[in-house]
Amino acid sequence: MQRILIVEDSATMRALLVSALDEMPTPVKITETESGFEALRVLPRQRFDLILTDINMADINGLELVSFVKSNETYRSIPLVIVSTEGSDRDRDKGLSLGADAYLVKPFDPEELRQIAQDLLSRAPRSNEG
Amino acid sequence: MAARKKTRTRKARVVSKADKEFISEAEEILERMRLDLADLSDQRAAGEEVDPELVNRLFRSAHSLKGLANLFGFDPVQNLAHHLEDVLDGLRLGRVLLSVAVVDVVDRTASLFAKLLSAVGDTAAIEAMSEAVQALIAEIELAKQPVETQAEEFATLDIEASLLRALTEYEEHRLRENLRRGRNILLVDATFEIISFEEGLSELTTAIREIGEVLSTLPAPGESSKAQICFSLLVASDLTSTEVDARFEFPDTTVRSVAAARNPAPAAAGKSVSTSVSEPIATVDPPDGAAPATSNDAPQIQPPDPREFESLKSISDTVRVDIRKLDELMNLVGELVIQRSALGDLVSRLHGDPATARIGSDFGKVHKALDGKLRELQSAVLEVRMVPLRQVFEKVSRVVRRLRVELEKDVRLELCGADTELDKLIVEELIDPLMHIVRNALDHGIESPNERSEKGKDPQGCIKIDAFQRGNHVVIAVSDDGRGIDRERLRAKAEAKGVIEPGDVLTDKENLDLIFAPGVSTRDEVTEISGRGVGMDVVRHNLAPLGGVVDVDSEPGQGTTISMTLPITLAIIRSVLVAVADQRFAIPLNTVQETLSIDPEQIQRSEDREILNHRGDALLLLRLSDAFGLAGLSRDEKSFVVVLGMGDSRIGLIVDRLEGQQDTVIKPIQGPIPTIRGIAGATELGDQYPVLVLDVSALLDDALHRKEAA
Repeated sequence: MQRILIVEDSATMRALLVSALDEMPTPVKITETESGFEALRVLPRQRFDLILTDINMADINGLELVSFVKSNETYRSIPLVIVSTEGSDRDRDKGLSLGADAYLVKPFDPEELRQIAQDLLSRAPRSNEG
Repeated sequence: MAARKKTRTRKARVVSKADKEFISEAEEILERMRLDLADLSDQRAAGEEVDPELVNRLFRSAHSLKGLANLFGFDPVQNLAHHLEDVLDGLRLGRVLLSVAVVDVVDRTASLFAKLLSAVGDTAAIEAMSEAVQALIAEIELAKQPVETQAEEFATLDIEASLLRALTEYEEHRLRENLRRGRNILLVDATFEIISFEEGLSELTTAIREIGEVLSTLPAPGESSKAQICFSLLVASDLTSTEVDARFEFPDTTVRSVAAARNPAPAAAGKSVSTSVSEPIATVDPPDGAAPATSNDAPQIQPPDPREFESLKSISDTVRVDIRKLDELMNLVGELVIQRSALGDLVSRLHGDPATARIGSDFGKVHKALDGKLRELQSAVLEVRMVPLRQVFEKVSRVVRRLRVELEKDVRLELCGADTELDKLIVEELIDPLMHIVRNALDHGIESPNERSEKGKDPQGCIKIDAFQRGNHVVIAVSDDGRGIDRERLRAKAEAKGVIEPGDVLTDKENLDLIFAPGVSTRDEVTEISGRGVGMDVVRHNLAPLGGVVDVDSEPGQGTTISMTLPITLAIIRSVLVAVADQRFAIPLNTVQETLSIDPEQIQRSEDREILNHRGDALLLLRLSDAFGLAGLSRDEKSFVVVLGMGDSRIGLIVDRLEGQQDTVIKPIQGPIPTIRGIAGATELGDQYPVLVLDVSALLDDALHRKEAA
């Protein structure tokens, strides 16, 4: 089963992301983290096939997480989607220039999220269990 | 087709589930915003520089709120969230001036938002509020004072592009702002084991916050091992990289300079206490725009933007002063006051001698003029030290907001008299006792909502803090409408602690006053909230050195009022001079209600106490000679009584002579003299003979509680 990592500090937003992803045609495993630090701790523990991250968070911001993932040989290949509220175009552009694969504006359309996730997951190599 | 349908129904259910989650999360966010706003007001009121992280956190809260509101979908809610986020974004990015008006309107927006939330589900109620929402949005727009920001390139900085690229707009702004102020920009690289990086990183971050601001934290993969993680922290500080390096003792951490300060600020000055309410203080750039030389700098002198000019002006008309400098100033004034008294003596001596009477009269006029100016100087210096109670009140409301959640009590806090002013020093000393009283009221006084409903009370309790000036004192009364003090239990506790004997007859007031006896607490178990067994005795003890007193009044089932009476200022006080045998004492005038001359036969005896029938009341008498073991006048001679009163307590102090009034500067007794109960300090009057200043609060306490002490 493919694994998705969610990095989002709002519980409501996480619940919405999870419930949208639960409806994926091919079931996925979801790991929720509520901060950038938590994501940094979780990342080495298992292989992920997709990362969804918020930008405005308390410890490290989403851009810093993108930078970390994309500058790291081990994680570089994991597709990454920035899910953030509309408004900060500059932050979005920066995220994309740092290597983020897609950008989704909150509030998102669940169908659109699934579409993007589906596309990116089909590109990613299958993770081996364990 | 079927799958799509399924999705739709699922979505509908999810959204309605999200409604509840939206409300609870939004409430949480609003609560945090209010705490942050209170902190912000505190910092502004204290004249401190506003912590940029605080503003950023407020923005993030508003941002999350907007994210939630957009999901949720009511126009007024969305609209308000949008404008709130927008103004906070402007504030954190330095595009909007952080003015009183903006903070106020943001605060009110948070309140209105809370109201909107409580109306969720009631479309009509929300619609009814839309007018208020529109009005507030208009106010937000009006309160926004734009600040011109100039783009600054970071090309001159010695940082990897990858780090700059990961800066959010806000972080870029903070970097720019710190460069503009000419601070050093440092890069701190640290390596941690990935399994435990948070602890180490948080220690490092805390240490850095003491010397500057963390602008960004960029994680990078460990260089030597996969089990490690590196962090590059971009830091702004007044210290140089060498100084920081010398200060830090973190393993696997390096510090290097990225940009050196243009005009090094004084290194890490000691924390100063501000006594003024002011706008955040900023370093004002030289008018020629001497920003760091970058290729893009336009060399032409541009006409100053009038709005920017105005904003700079508004921040520069207050000065932050170390409170110790004010103490010094106060001392100097005090010494002048003493010299003036000596001058007064000289004038009377010149007057007394016919040969010098004329020059004495001229001298007297000069003395009088000097006297007037000196008084003005004295009150001007005192004025500078005065701060309103507002900051203290804000702290209290913050604590109450937090505690009522922890204690699951529904309490409303009413604050009156936030503009009442007190000496800065007294305000500082007042905070702990006040907090203690308020915590007690919340924890022990106010009942749970259920208990209140059962008693037929409003389920929401009320704590009221009322501050007002009364003569030379400020009274701060904390009232609750809770269960009141159980006198029987209090008495039983005091007996158990040996404070009173089982047979002792106490008046109601004496019974209530037991709450201030050491070790007596009305609750058996110690709770986290009211502290670890710390009782009201500590409150009384803390206030005594300030010349303050505490009184308690309580009606069973109706509530409790605890009032603190404090002098407005400490430094110079007018005193009544009295004498017993050869020793002179000064009694702060604000504790003297009147002075009487009495004949020995007017004194009545009751058991071993002397009592004076004064205006229909029995006034307990205390001989000052007895209090300090002095040989006073014989008991058959005519003597004087000074009626002392503080709070609700009164006694008559019998002295040999009255010697008039004087301004006295109280200094604590220093050197190898043991502190004597009943003596607050010493003063001199210009004739080189020290005069002891009576601690009226202690005298009253001892005289009125002699029963327990025996």
